Amino acid sequence: MYQQASWMITLLFSVFVILIFVTVLLKSGKRVDYGKIQTKGYFIRSVWFVVVFSVMLAATYFTLQDLPFEGAEAEETPVDVQVTAIQFGFDVSLDTLKVGDYAAFHVTSKDVNHGFGLFDDQLTIVAQTQAMPEYTNTVYYKFTKPGTYTILCMEYCGMAHHLMKREIKVTE
Amino acid sequence: MTTTLHVAIDSKTKKAVVFPLVFSGVILLLMMIFGVVMLLGQGKLIELNPIMFYKIMTIHGTGMIGVSALAGSCIIWYFLKQYVPLNTAVFRLNVYLFLVGVAMVLVGIFAYDFAGAWTFLYPLPAQSGGMWGKTGAALYLGGMLVIGTGFLILLLEAARAIIKQYGSLATSLGWPQILGKEKGFGPPPTVVASTMVCIVDIIALITGAALLSMSLINVFVPSFTIDPLLAKNLTYAFGHVFANSIIYMGVIVVYELLPRYTGRPWKSNKIFLIAWNMSTLFTLIVYPHHLLMDFVMPKWMIVMGQVLSYMNGLPVLVVTAFGALMIVYRSGIKWDVASSFLYLSMFGWVIGVVPAIIDATIVINHVMHNTKWVPGHFHMYMGLGACAMILGFMYYLTRMEGGRIDNKLDYLTLWLYILAFLGLSGSFLFSGKSSAPRRWAEHFPEWIPADVVAAFFGTFVMITFLLFLVRFISYSSNIGSKINQSDDIRPSTHG
Repeated sequence: MYQQASWMITLLFSVFVILIFVTVLLKSGKRVDYGKIQTKGYFIRSVWFVVVFSVMLAATYFTLQDLPFEGAEAEETPVDVQVTAIQFGFDVSLDTLKVGDYAAFHVTSKDVNHGFGLFDDQLTIVAQTQAMPEYTNTVYYKFTKPGTYTILCMEYCGMAHHLMKREIKVTE
Repeated sequence: MTTTLHVAIDSKTKKAVVFPLVFSGVILLLMMIFGVVMLLGQGKLIELNPIMFYKIMTIHGTGMIGVSALAGSCIIWYFLKQYVPLNTAVFRLNVYLFLVGVAMVLVGIFAYDFAGAWTFLYPLPAQSGGMWGKTGAALYLGGMLVIGTGFLILLLEAARAIIKQYGSLATSLGWPQILGKEKGFGPPPTVVASTMVCIVDIIALITGAALLSMSLINVFVPSFTIDPLLAKNLTYAFGHVFANSIIYMGVIVVYELLPRYTGRPWKSNKIFLIAWNMSTLFTLIVYPHHLLMDFVMPKWMIVMGQVLSYMNGLPVLVVTAFGALMIVYRSGIKWDVASSFLYLSMFGWVIGVVPAIIDATIVINHVMHNTKWVPGHFHMYMGLGACAMILGFMYYLTRMEGGRIDNKLDYLTLWLYILAFLGLSGSFLFSGKSSAPRRWAEHFPEWIPADVVAAFFGTFVMITFLLFLVRFISYSSNIGSKINQSDDIRPSTHG
């Protein structure tokens, strides 16, 4: 959902920016007094500032409601899964889960920085965090669909980085 | 219009920027070729050994940022010299140190197999998983240290000259005007922007030097360790700020030349000065948006990473790009290739800001971090923004100093470059939307079609850049050859 939303917002904004720059380009030829342009321009700029600032404020408010590192403990007790990354693979304490399980992945690394990317069977990322030496990051994900999920490395860690892979089965 | 396109610079300074610009152009082209090779490999159009892929990836990222900064330093040096006396020997020293550092980095990568990426995330340089040894890591880290030292000396000289002329960096950032202690406009935009670059880069380079030194010690003395989270913070406090500062160096050419092209002044009014002060602060502290998936970071820092990224978009969206649009609108400007590049750079900066801001949103970063969305937004911002500024400067120099006359091929190449870069960045963004990871030597079949499209557009970017470079090199030897030309130059429109 977030991927699609990002793509659509970027496309729409890009079209808007292209239209603005092309319009100004097409209207750059005939010279008029800059004082008039400034008076009108500064007014438009004020409106533009209010619009951009308001959009940013609203986006901040709504998106901060859904932080991936804050588990909904009140909802249910999570199923703990320990994940340890090592050049070049993942050790997991549990590789079979059930639909409806609310998993808490506790992710760390034994050597260098790695990334923990959880992909569904359509190869779409559904959750991620960093796998760091000396630290444990916890990320939460509720499995709502059965299938084979794959953990892939999302932080460059050496020559076999792209081969780091571990499957998790989610059954009905 | 009564303005002139000439800038009051002595011949020595004009000549001094020619070699680093030619060198930057050649290396940029080489890095583009490496970029296309990686895409051809990911797209399965050529056989590319993963080890070679990661070596190329390391030099691509390091080289692109390094030479763009070198070209940016030419812009800052060239125009700042109008306002403050600068020592050209220091500029040359930076170029020499850059060459030494580049040689060390290249040997480290291609002779000793170092492939730790430009991020060289601790403790990867010392723990390669069998790919490289101590010599490769030491040459790469040492080379980076030499390059960083050169830039540090250069910017300390610029800061020294600004302080001598204006009294303090606060004055050159326009604090007296912002606080109402002085009426009227602040220092020229070039001085304000140069001050910002000096502040953020001096801090970033010292941070980077500390990290590089500690990583070097760790390579040879494994018992000497660093907190990995601290090291990661230092990596991005250095890398993000330094890379980001390139566009702030480059925008100086826009501030200097668009007013000359349009005959309209670009003054440092209060809003302009506030925007640059905001950029100074935000550029320094916005780097935690690289650490949004490091949940052990303090929550307030992760949240600030998002909020500050949003805020950092305001100065460009509301002030700089808007100012450029106002100056051009109904100005009667006589477009040439150089001014077209400058206008393009404002477009590229703005269009690249939005996917960057989107990715800095925590819930989105959760599914986009380290996917190809990230190179998607920074290729847009660097290729159509920073690179367009550098190319605009090159085309300006050869037109004004080299005797080059714009031809139809120049314009055709310019439009092809724009379309190809939009295609390249767009295909990266699409790959990111499809969850394709960045920095992967081999992609799954589902992600390969977008890699093929990117390779197609990347090839066009490379060809068009080659044509730009040939045009620049062909006329570059004339730059600065007209002695005493600056004596009869009319003042610029900055007043």
